[in-house]
Amino acid sequence: MKMTKLFVLTVAVAMGPGLAGAHDIEAWNSPQPEQPDHVLIRNATVWTADEAGILENTDILIRRGEIRRIGEDLRAPRGSIEIDAEGRHVTPGLIDAHSHAAMLGGVNEMSLISTAMVEARDIVDADSINIYRQMAGGLTTMHLMHGSANAIGGQNVTVKLRWGADPADMIIDDAPGTIKFALGENPKQSNWQPDNPRYPQTRHGVAQVVDEKFQMARDYAERHEAHAGRNARDRVPPRRDLEMEALVDILQGDIDVHSHGYRADEFLALMRTAESHGFRIKAFHHVLEGYKVADEMAEHGAGASTFSDWWAFKYEARDAIPYNAALMHERSVQVSINSDNPELARRMNLEAAKAVRYGGVGEHEALKMVTANAADQLGLGHRLGRLKEGMDADLVIWSGHPLSVYSRPDQTWIDGRLYFDRERDLEMREAWEAERQELIALVRESENGEGENDDEEADDNDDQPDENEPGMQLFRQLMGGA
Amino acid sequence: MLRTTVPLLLVLLLAAPVQAETVAYVGATIHPVSGEAIEDGVLLVRDGRIEAIGSDVDVPGEARTEDLSGLHLYPGLIHAGTVLGLTEIGSVAGTQDTTEMGQINAAIRAEVAVNHDSMLFAPNVAGGLLTAHVVPQGGMIRGTSAAISLSGWNWEEMTLAAPVGMHVAFPRSAAENDDDDDLRLINEVLDQARSWSRAMTAWSDGAAPRPAHNDQFAALEPVLEGEVPVFLHTHGERDMHAALDWAERQGLEEIVLVGGPDLQHLASRLAQGDIPAILNGVHTMPARGWEPYDAAYVAGAKLAEAGVRFAITDGGSAFTAGNARHITFQAGMAAAFGLDREAALKSVTLWPAEIIGLGDELGSLEAGKRATFFAATGDALEVTTQVQRAWIDGEEYDLSRDRQRQLYERYRGRPGRDGDG
Repeated sequence: MKMTKLFVLTVAVAMGPGLAGAHDIEAWNSPQPEQPDHVLIRNATVWTADEAGILENTDILIRRGEIRRIGEDLRAPRGSIEIDAEGRHVTPGLIDAHSHAAMLGGVNEMSLISTAMVEARDIVDADSINIYRQMAGGLTTMHLMHGSANAIGGQNVTVKLRWGADPADMIIDDAPGTIKFALGENPKQSNWQPDNPRYPQTRHGVAQVVDEKFQMARDYAERHEAHAGRNARDRVPPRRDLEMEALVDILQGDIDVHSHGYRADEFLALMRTAESHGFRIKAFHHVLEGYKVADEMAEHGAGASTFSDWWAFKYEARDAIPYNAALMHERSVQVSINSDNPELARRMNLEAAKAVRYGGVGEHEALKMVTANAADQLGLGHRLGRLKEGMDADLVIWSGHPLSVYSRPDQTWIDGRLYFDRERDLEMREAWEAERQELIALVRESENGEGENDDEEADDNDDQPDENEPGMQLFRQLMGGA
Repeated sequence: MLRTTVPLLLVLLLAAPVQAETVAYVGATIHPVSGEAIEDGVLLVRDGRIEAIGSDVDVPGEARTEDLSGLHLYPGLIHAGTVLGLTEIGSVAGTQDTTEMGQINAAIRAEVAVNHDSMLFAPNVAGGLLTAHVVPQGGMIRGTSAAISLSGWNWEEMTLAAPVGMHVAFPRSAAENDDDDDLRLINEVLDQARSWSRAMTAWSDGAAPRPAHNDQFAALEPVLEGEVPVFLHTHGERDMHAALDWAERQGLEEIVLVGGPDLQHLASRLAQGDIPAILNGVHTMPARGWEPYDAAYVAGAKLAEAGVRFAITDGGSAFTAGNARHITFQAGMAAAFGLDREAALKSVTLWPAEIIGLGDELGSLEAGKRATFFAATGDALEVTTQVQRAWIDGEEYDLSRDRQRQLYERYRGRPGRDGDG
């Protein structure tokens, strides 16, 4: 019985108004919250993630999406929304420098060893329930990245978790371009048997390919330069190549390289390749053995965006240690901690706390690893990741100490808009459930013809399918909540 | 039944711990878990067992004293379902002994494949995880699990109890279909095991010839006799109910229900039936798109409110084995969302001890129990707390065996490139 109904429900909910009348297709989605002229948060412990450090009994004044002032006993402009945060803590909105949590379909363009021409901005999934759930954990910005199947992957995009906005409106417009590179077991296809293995199958092969691609990009740039100006009139222009254009942008510093990698040897090799072509690696991601070449990374100017503690899941993760963040930090590498996982991204504050546990990083410095440092690595340090005047009003009000396992985000603000409010979430649950039941009833009605009442079904409280049932898979796929 | 010579029958290897010494650990805040915290307490350990605990303990003259001022003492964490010891590197097949092929693996014994020198052990001990329930993962009837100490010179020495339970992965497809093929196979095997058991009894009574040896039936015999509990592994609410219904039909009385946050929907049924549960993860996404964001976070609180005894784990996959020590963070998250902090602590200490049949030996700091404990800089569930020392059966574990710490120390000491390092 149920498969059919489920399927109908799936389609009905996905298609929304067509089948389900006046009901919005995003039952759990919200319209964009309003942006008040002024918001004043009072008496909080403020973690600035900036030089000012942690400020007790401090007020934050937000004006139209921007932090206007931080200080004691600020005066509330007329009409301000005032929040008493006595006993609570405020931090910048958390930033995940490595996410795939809101992308439609394939994260990996697996085919070629270089897919520099593809762009994640084309597949931002604004309806993914991950967005809401991560925001409920204090996340406000994520770096949506291409996968790690290729040595040179696709271009990434940085978005704010503006739940309810269109994909284009989630994208941070002045974020610099970034591109994904990958080293090690993934690009060399170690952990599966590809039907048609492609070159390279080794780490030195990966290094060689990257070098050769940049030689090609330089030739490409030269051909275009030679064609420019006076010569352009008489000759056939060189063929346009989107892959080469992206690589030229890297050479010119317009696209930053964020490279997945685990082992120290490969970081060193990629840095030397980049140096030989005159550019720098912006950040290594996961960078599990970064602690082994931290000095070299610091000299090169590469940041590190690491897992807090994952290890032993692959051979190249054998030497991963939870002290990695602390060791690199001690050696002056700018460190962020990332999730690479939609569930983990709901508690990045606790990922940062692990840098205190393992290696004794100071608490404020640890918090920077999921705020200011991540913002800097994404080229957005001028407006995100810190609480100070002039920055975007992206912040979290925590029920307690932000690195405590016992704390929860009470509110998450983005652009001075209240996107997540735990109180409201709790209040709305009944209404959301009622709406869901109403939708199910409508679907049943349409399926059963004249609203035939199936008592047994109506009393069956067990119509919530398990996520692996085919209908549910489709449902989640369509709704993007996977 | 008199014929109880089956070698697998509940071998409790509870040899007396070996550390022959009397030590008074003083100055620390002791969290016995079974009772209120004791500030500036004394933990008196004799020959590897706890002799006395309290704020006012008579310390015998021959006792050595260890000052642990400023630290917090906790009973060792217990992981209620893991593949620690059966896995090394997740992606390297040669290091994987978690999952036997085939559907019926009743005769599999987890403990015999535990690699006592696994590099995953020491980092977990360094995180306070001192006891693990090692569970095989292959097929529908998966075999028997073992409780192991994380320290020992071979698996035999490490094994505290085996078999702890027979593990049955209840087929999801049977949730709504009593005639499900997979469930029918399980039922047939159990029926055959019963027949075999009767035939064995008939033989021992001299009434019939001896039936052929059968490892699988022999392993199932104590399960069907109610001597070895069944751990029922499930996914969602529906198959959880179906699994309990099935266990009732089968007359299986000693049950532990293992599953995800949907366990909360069975809280009253579990409480009524006095069925303990293993909650496979608090750090999991809500299973369904429409569920509240904290659906998994609140599962612990819901179970506790109903009065269910439960253990919190990380799901126990090969991926999580290296950080099995971090079940404390999952328990802490449950506490952030309504679970009493004392109960959260019990969910990774005393309750798993009871669920795996070691409630008299481990899980709390009480006189008579094993002196298996750790010292930390603060609240054991807080992420920022550091575990500093650990003892198993009274013997201090050498934390420098932790390869992660070794790498940390080694690279921390790397000379700086500019010569000042």
